[in-house]
Amino acid sequence: MIRHITRVFPFLLALVMLSGCGYNTMQQNEEAVNRAWGDLESQLQRRSDLVPNLVATVKGAANFEKETLQAVIEARAKATSIQLTPEMLSDPDAMSKFQSAQGELSSSLSRLLVAVERYPELKATQNFRDLQVQLEGTENRISVARQRYNEAAQVFNTSIRIFPNSITNSVALKLKPKAYFKADEAARAVPQVKF
Amino acid sequence: MSIRKRSRWFPSALFALALLMAAMPLMAAFPPVPALRQRVNDYAGMISPATRAEIEQKLAALEAEDGTQIAILTVPSLQGEPIEEFSIRVAEAWKLGDEKRDNGVLLIVSKGDRKVRIEVGYGLEGRLTDLESGRIIRGVIQPAFAKGDFDAGFTGAADALVTAVKGEFKADSSSKGKDDSPSIPLVFIILLVLFFYLRMFGGRRHGGPYVSGGWGGPGGGIFSSGGDSGFSGGGGGFGGGGASGDW
Repeated sequence: MIRHITRVFPFLLALVMLSGCGYNTMQQNEEAVNRAWGDLESQLQRRSDLVPNLVATVKGAANFEKETLQAVIEARAKATSIQLTPEMLSDPDAMSKFQSAQGELSSSLSRLLVAVERYPELKATQNFRDLQVQLEGTENRISVARQRYNEAAQVFNTSIRIFPNSITNSVALKLKPKAYFKADEAARAVPQVKF
Repeated sequence: MSIRKRSRWFPSALFALALLMAAMPLMAAFPPVPALRQRVNDYAGMISPATRAEIEQKLAALEAEDGTQIAILTVPSLQGEPIEEFSIRVAEAWKLGDEKRDNGVLLIVSKGDRKVRIEVGYGLEGRLTDLESGRIIRGVIQPAFAKGDFDAGFTGAADALVTAVKGEFKADSSSKGKDDSPSIPLVFIILLVLFFYLRMFGGRRHGGPYVSGGWGGPGGGIFSSGGDSGFSGGGGGFGGGGASGDW
């Protein structure tokens, strides 16, 4: 019986250490954050892909305001030039840069949509209306993906902080908390065109 | 004496307090998600009984045919919450569509706010695109609702949704399974490692507990595909696809 226990002991110990110290949990949580980030990024990419179509459609309208269009084009160029790999998620500076570039694209798009209100014949075209629906849909997906990313990040951040895990983390894993992707009001307001 | 008395109520008071604190974050947010009772959940009383039965039947037939779940929810008011946020909360709670194919659709209407939204599950985004959802709202729902003919609006919307999603899964039943089922070599290796471990450390009696400890594999086990009386979602996921509108 005792021999049995001594045989099993190392395995039991390893099991307790692995499951009790949060080693696996923290890594699983980090993986969930990365996956949520991937989703968010692909939705942002989708929005970015819509912009050329939108610009082309709007350009066709008689003397559409050049500056508004230019702002969208520039904001898109800037937003696509800043990428954030999963390894950079713990870097608050990189995150805030990424976020402000995306936020700029959001607000320039919303200004474009407001400007379009002054061109009724453009607004009435099927092409523009379709683009607007797609843009709204994408904005909504972005906000869902952002919320899920933040939730995953919160779970992860908590899991590296609470008691037994925090020790494992400082000794073995050395994971850093993930930065949140804050909702900026401009982005949330895009689908609604108000005066 | 007094200590003994105290020790009686103290734990239960503590328990009550803990319960209250656990419930607090839930109470702070927007109204709770209404219960999913059947396919047509008419909490705002917009649909006549005859039309309701007719729509129920159509949607049940669709589910029997290719597994796609469509449900309708009407509420009297959103109480200030944007319809997109309410709708995704409901979709996340109801989990329409099955877990692998994510083939669920939710049509949600707030009577008081005169707002409508079609929320589309991941698996149907290819067929029922945002554009298509937007066209159903603008072309079918809006005109009927604007005239006050809710029955026609809901019937038309149900027909349009059924037509749009039909056949989505006939052809590509194999395309999605790859990414979420673990590959065979991996399972094999795990089994092999386990086998040797158990061989090395003997005891048949110890076989059970070892297996359960390490892996937090896919947890989903509670499946109840809707019977006749109780209708429930099968675990489908939503990512904010669809379109909104008003009338």
